[in-house]
Amino acid sequence: MNCETCQELIHDLIDGSITQRDEFTLNTHLKECLDCDSVRQDLASIVGFCRTQRGQYEAPPNEQAMWLRIRNVIEAELPSKAVSNTESKPSFIGRLMGRTWELTLPQLAASTVAIVLLVSLSTVVGLRRFGGYGGPPEPTKVEASNINDRIFQRQQVIDYWKQRIELNKAHWSAENRAKFETSLKSIDEAIQISMDELNRNPNDDISWEMLNVSLDSKLTILKDYSDL
Amino acid sequence: MKIRFLSWRPSSRAGVLAVGAILAITAVSFSVAAQQRLSKRYPAGQNVRIELRNISGAIVVESWNKNEIRLSATIETKGTTVTPRQINESFVVDVMSDNRGRGDVGDINFKLQVPVNSSVDLETRRGDIKVADIRSGLVRAHVSSEGDIELTNVTALHVIAQNVIGNIFFDGEFSRGGTYEFKSNKGDITIRIPGDSDFRLVAASPARRIALNDFWNNNFKTQDGRKYVGDVGDGRSSVSVTNFSGQITFMRR
Repeated sequence: MNCETCQELIHDLIDGSITQRDEFTLNTHLKECLDCDSVRQDLASIVGFCRTQRGQYEAPPNEQAMWLRIRNVIEAELPSKAVSNTESKPSFIGRLMGRTWELTLPQLAASTVAIVLLVSLSTVVGLRRFGGYGGPPEPTKVEASNINDRIFQRQQVIDYWKQRIELNKAHWSAENRAKFETSLKSIDEAIQISMDELNRNPNDDISWEMLNVSLDSKLTILKDYSDL
Repeated sequence: MKIRFLSWRPSSRAGVLAVGAILAITAVSFSVAAQQRLSKRYPAGQNVRIELRNISGAIVVESWNKNEIRLSATIETKGTTVTPRQINESFVVDVMSDNRGRGDVGDINFKLQVPVNSSVDLETRRGDIKVADIRSGLVRAHVSSEGDIELTNVTALHVIAQNVIGNIFFDGEFSRGGTYEFKSNKGDITIRIPGDSDFRLVAASPARRIALNDFWNNNFKTQDGRKYVGDVGDGRSSVSVTNFSGQITFMRR
């Protein structure tokens, strides 16, 4: 499977309309292609975020009155701007832009060199001043925050399903609850092991893969139990 | 003290024990009586698709030499509904849909006898799944939490077996162009296949517990023993095995 086909199938996967065969082929590709896997995670996070935030942005109490106020403000500003436009002289920038520039070749070369020097100087000063030039970046810290970012994005989706489960959990039998908790604990342990490994070695592909597998498992069990 | 202990005399303690025993026996009797048993037969084509969505309880599926389905179920909770539906070439049992709004309906243990070429798609939140003697396009066994999966004498184009805690055992053949996926978080995965099987394998176990045995060859690439990727024979089918903390074992049939 190529990446283009894979990314088309990712939409079906997230919509839940993917066939089992396609899902298997897709999962196989995702295990081997970090780029596509990353696309899948991003899409899943966005969809999950939208789901979790659904209904949280409510309309203002009196929408019609608000639009009326906005229209009044716009209409009140329009005449004064029209007057000021007719009376004002062309601005400095306007005059500058309207002017025709004619430069000889030496002048053009000198201007270019001056611009390059100015940009280089300001970049160096800026980097020194804001601490970005103190040496090479620390890869571990950058990657570690990346791990947490990825977890955070998936965690939002997981939290959504967890909330749904919390509402129904009280109605489950004791045995179902116990098995669910044990399984979830087992998955959480696996997630933690992968996280620890990634904190030691952020570029460890297998740990990334296993982390994704475990997060998928967690999402699956939450979804499965959410309608119980 | 010794003499008193050996000589039996009716006492209040003995009385309490006797009453307790009687109550326990009565409770067990009522429990057995409260169980419902269901057994029905349904006509089916040779290539029927079986879909069973259970909440909790065991599922056993085996083939027989008849063009019909026999469904037997032991239902733990009184009032629980099991209403199989036949839609075109599919035979569907969905315990969740049948009992929506009733909450947890307890264990239902299913046994299905189906035509040998049936596609089988089984799910349960908790409980063991066993499938035996099936030759078809699909065998899928999904346990959401804890339960063993045992697929014996299975030849299918697509096989998916997944649980969180529990063992997975596959005994069968890989078909040309087929896909096979086995996934567990905590449990052993054992795959027993003919020695001349051809497949491309991706096996991952962070616990480094992968034993390919007779199927290992020099073409396998491994990353410090946690993952093996390679072809056995001409790699005609695709096999993916993932196990977080258990053992992955390949055995010659």
